[in-house]
Amino acid sequence: MFAKLKKKIAEEAASTTSTSTPRTGGRMPRSMSKESITSVGADSGDDFASDGSSSRGDDLSSQILRRNDQIRKLEAKLSDYAEQLRLLQKTKDKLEVALEKHQDSSMRKLQEQNEAYQSNRAKMAEGMALALDKKDQEWMEKMASLEQEKASLSARLAEMTEQSLSLFQKRDDLDELEGFQQQELAKVKHMLLRREEQLGQRERELQQKEGQLQTARSSLAEAQAKLHRLDGEHQENCRINEQLQAERQDLLRVRDQSEQKVGELEARSRDLQELIQQVSEDFQQSQKKAQDLESSLNSLQTEHEELQLEHEQHKQKAAVREEERECVLSELQEKVSSLERRLEGNLSQDEHLQELLKEKSSVEQRLEEVRVELLQERSSHADTVSSLEAQTSRLNGSVAELQMLLRHKDDSSKAYRERTDAQISSLEQQVDEFTRKLRSAERQLADSEAHVQTLQEGWVEERERLQQQVGSQRQRGLERCGQLEEQLGVLRRQRDAENAASQAALTELEDEKTELLQRQEDAEVRLHTIAQELEQARAELSSRQTVSVEIAKALEDTRRQKEELQIQVGEMFTTQQVLQEDASKLSDQLQAKHTEIQVLKEVLQAARGDVDQLKADAADREQVMSSLRQEVVSQTEQLDSCQSRVLDLEGELESLSEQLQTSEVCDEEQNGAVTVDDLDHLQKVNRDLELQLSDKNKTIKQLQQRLAELKRTLQKELKLKPESEADCRPQENRGERQDDRPNQDTAATAPGPGPVTQNTTVINSADLTDTREINFEYLKHVVLKFMSSREAEAYQLIRAVSVLLRFTREEEDLLKQTLEYKMSWFGSKPAPKGIARPSISGATDHWS
Amino acid sequence: ILFSGLFGTREMRILILGLDGAGKTTILYRLQVGEVVTTIPTIGFNVETVTYKNLKFQVWDLGGQTSIRPYWRCYYSNTDAVIYVVDSSDRDRMGISKSELVAMLEEEELKKAILVVFANKQDMEQAMTPTEVANSLGLPALKDRKWQIFKTSATKGTGLDEAMEWLVEALKSRQ
Repeated sequence: MFAKLKKKIAEEAASTTSTSTPRTGGRMPRSMSKESITSVGADSGDDFASDGSSSRGDDLSSQILRRNDQIRKLEAKLSDYAEQLRLLQKTKDKLEVALEKHQDSSMRKLQEQNEAYQSNRAKMAEGMALALDKKDQEWMEKMASLEQEKASLSARLAEMTEQSLSLFQKRDDLDELEGFQQQELAKVKHMLLRREEQLGQRERELQQKEGQLQTARSSLAEAQAKLHRLDGEHQENCRINEQLQAERQDLLRVRDQSEQKVGELEARSRDLQELIQQVSEDFQQSQKKAQDLESSLNSLQTEHEELQLEHEQHKQKAAVREEERECVLSELQEKVSSLERRLEGNLSQDEHLQELLKEKSSVEQRLEEVRVELLQERSSHADTVSSLEAQTSRLNGSVAELQMLLRHKDDSSKAYRERTDAQISSLEQQVDEFTRKLRSAERQLADSEAHVQTLQEGWVEERERLQQQVGSQRQRGLERCGQLEEQLGVLRRQRDAENAASQAALTELEDEKTELLQRQEDAEVRLHTIAQELEQARAELSSRQTVSVEIAKALEDTRRQKEELQIQVGEMFTTQQVLQEDASKLSDQLQAKHTEIQVLKEVLQAARGDVDQLKADAADREQVMSSLRQEVVSQTEQLDSCQSRVLDLEGELESLSEQLQTSEVCDEEQNGAVTVDDLDHLQKVNRDLELQLSDKNKTIKQLQQRLAELKRTLQKELKLKPESEADCRPQENRGERQDDRPNQDTAATAPGPGPVTQNTTVINSADLTDTREINFEYLKHVVLKFMSSREAEAYQLIRAVSVLLRFTREEEDLLKQTLEYKMSWFGSKPAPKGIARPSISGATDHWS
Repeated sequence: ILFSGLFGTREMRILILGLDGAGKTTILYRLQVGEVVTTIPTIGFNVETVTYKNLKFQVWDLGGQTSIRPYWRCYYSNTDAVIYVVDSSDRDRMGISKSELVAMLEEEELKKAILVVFANKQDMEQAMTPTEVANSLGLPALKDRKWQIFKTSATKGTGLDEAMEWLVEALKSRQ
């Protein structure tokens, strides 16, 4: 392998040297061309400066020529570039080849490492089997000790169960006691409540009774008030009675007085009757005197009539003389009238008047004489009338006097009579009045008496009634009082009794209460003690529970262990038997093996010699590595040079393009139409060149990436090498590497592990490396986890590991069995049948 | 196996799958330690034991990068539940996510596994709703599969509890 590598390196070195020579050759013309271009540029510049204005026409042709030359030169350069490119591609191919080789070698190494690991695993399994045997014995011992422990633990368990039973009993008792206590307390509370209710009822009754009492009292007070009022009425009635009696006495006195008055009046009437008799006697005397007087008056009246008749006779004598004188006066007046008529008619007035006056004087003398005579007669008559009148007047006077006297007498008698009559009538009237008065008085009296009697009766009745009423009321009141008092008494008694009862009940209750309290206290104390006990018991219980839990746990553990152990023991017994059978066989085998071991030891020594040789090989390898590094360095240098060349080329290109532009500008200035085609051509060329340049850049980048990958793989290889070599060493003597190689090669030539084949689209080398990178990372991670994780988790990872490492089914099964074996406590180590022999299994198709 | 038989409490094996950058590792550590940890792309896997409601889960968070996605199938055996994490804001790769999910669900080893889909990164503005995610993943067309979708935000810590609750109930009811 190393030889091959060396060869390859040598080849590569040769190729690099071979490529380097044309490269230098290629470089030379470039420098030359540069110089030429610059010189030409300078020339042209000089031309422009010296004779740009004078000889432009001549110069154009020469300039075109020059341009053509330049183009030719550029073409030459381009061909050079093409060559260089070809060379670079060659180197790239070589590098790829080298890289693949490197990959192959690394894959191979990996395989070797795996083998070493598996062999180690097998060895370890053997060691484990041995250890298991030892452990079996230990376990047996342990079993014995555990059984003893178990016995003791079971004894303890029994004790504990007893204890727990007693504890449960105690707890039950406690619960019961608590229940009883609570029941009793409830009872006591109930009784107390009932008593309180009764008390409340009694109090309510009492209050009702008190209310009744008060109502009774109020009714009593009302009755007393009524009684008072009745007393007042009674007193009033008495007073009225007294008044009535006084009135009666007054009335009696008035009757006496009126009787006295009646007697007086009777006496007066008797006096008056006597007086009346006297008056009648006087009257009779006066009547007699009146009769006398009347007779005298009659005589007088007859005298008076005689006188009056004389007077009439005188008057008739005087009337008859007066009539004779009146007839003599009437004849003398006729003689005076006849003599005046004759005086007037006979004496011619005077002689007749004288004769009539003489006759007149004669008649007047005669009349005078008759008048005197009449006067004398009249006077005589008047004298007689007057005498007669005097006589009548005198007689009339006496009659008048008599009459007056009579009249007086009559008057006096009449007056007297009248007076007496009036007196009598008045007296009679008085008597009547008095009698009337008396009667009325008597009537009044009777009335008043009747009234008084009625009043008295009424009063008496009223009094009786009132007294009866009062009595009844009093009785009633008294009765009621009595009743009330009785009631009161009863109530009081009741109350007292109730009070006493309640007090008794209270005292009883208090006693009960005190008793209960005492009991409660006792109960509380008991409770307390019980609680304490409970707490203690609980604490004990908890401790015991914890202990028991622990014990239970321990028991469970031990049970489990026991079960396991029993199972194991059972199995072990069977296995032991088998083993004992085997042991005899094995002892035989062992002896054989001992001999084998000795042989192997010799082989080991030989192997150690090989190891030394390998160490030398390793040194060689390191040398190779250093050479590889140098190669890498040289390649990087090459790359750098390539880059610098590319840069140069770019610079050149730029200068050229500038030149071109300048030339274009010049051309346009000089003759735009002529050089258009040329310019197009130049631009095309330029574009091609640029494209080529970009391609080159790409290839350069790719090369750089690959270089980086190479470096990385190299570094990894360098890191892995010491470990893998150390691990691989014991397996190397098997010499399977030669057989192994073709398989690995085929594996390596496949673009990636199984999963990658699914993503067949990934052909790009960069992506390929990425996936490889990731796959490698993944593998690393999974393997690391597989190794570091618990067995249970590792078991889950077997599949992933075997897929990643492309284990065969047998290998995978072995891994599984091994893990199961590790996880379980018994069972034999799985036999490594056909493992680490991928060449024999040869199942490359398994890995896809 | 012997141990688990004795104790009767087998650890539930749960896989967290999904495309790279969906937030699987963040969810795993959010579930385990309850904190948001800074993560780097997982080349490989992370496995942690998560205890939730007295149930122990062995949660495997497998790297979701394209090149290592094919290795998922190495971990399918004995899986009780699959938490499929989807970046709800990544509409462009929803199709890839769907194809990966479909490929995963066709595996024989995952026939009995419960599927919980986390429509993660719900805190992002352009995030799709759980229904949208479910439709674009073709979840409604699934048959013979107990599945549920939850909207979650591993950075905010929302939705994880509900999802785990459902998962626990589903696992309990399955036993």
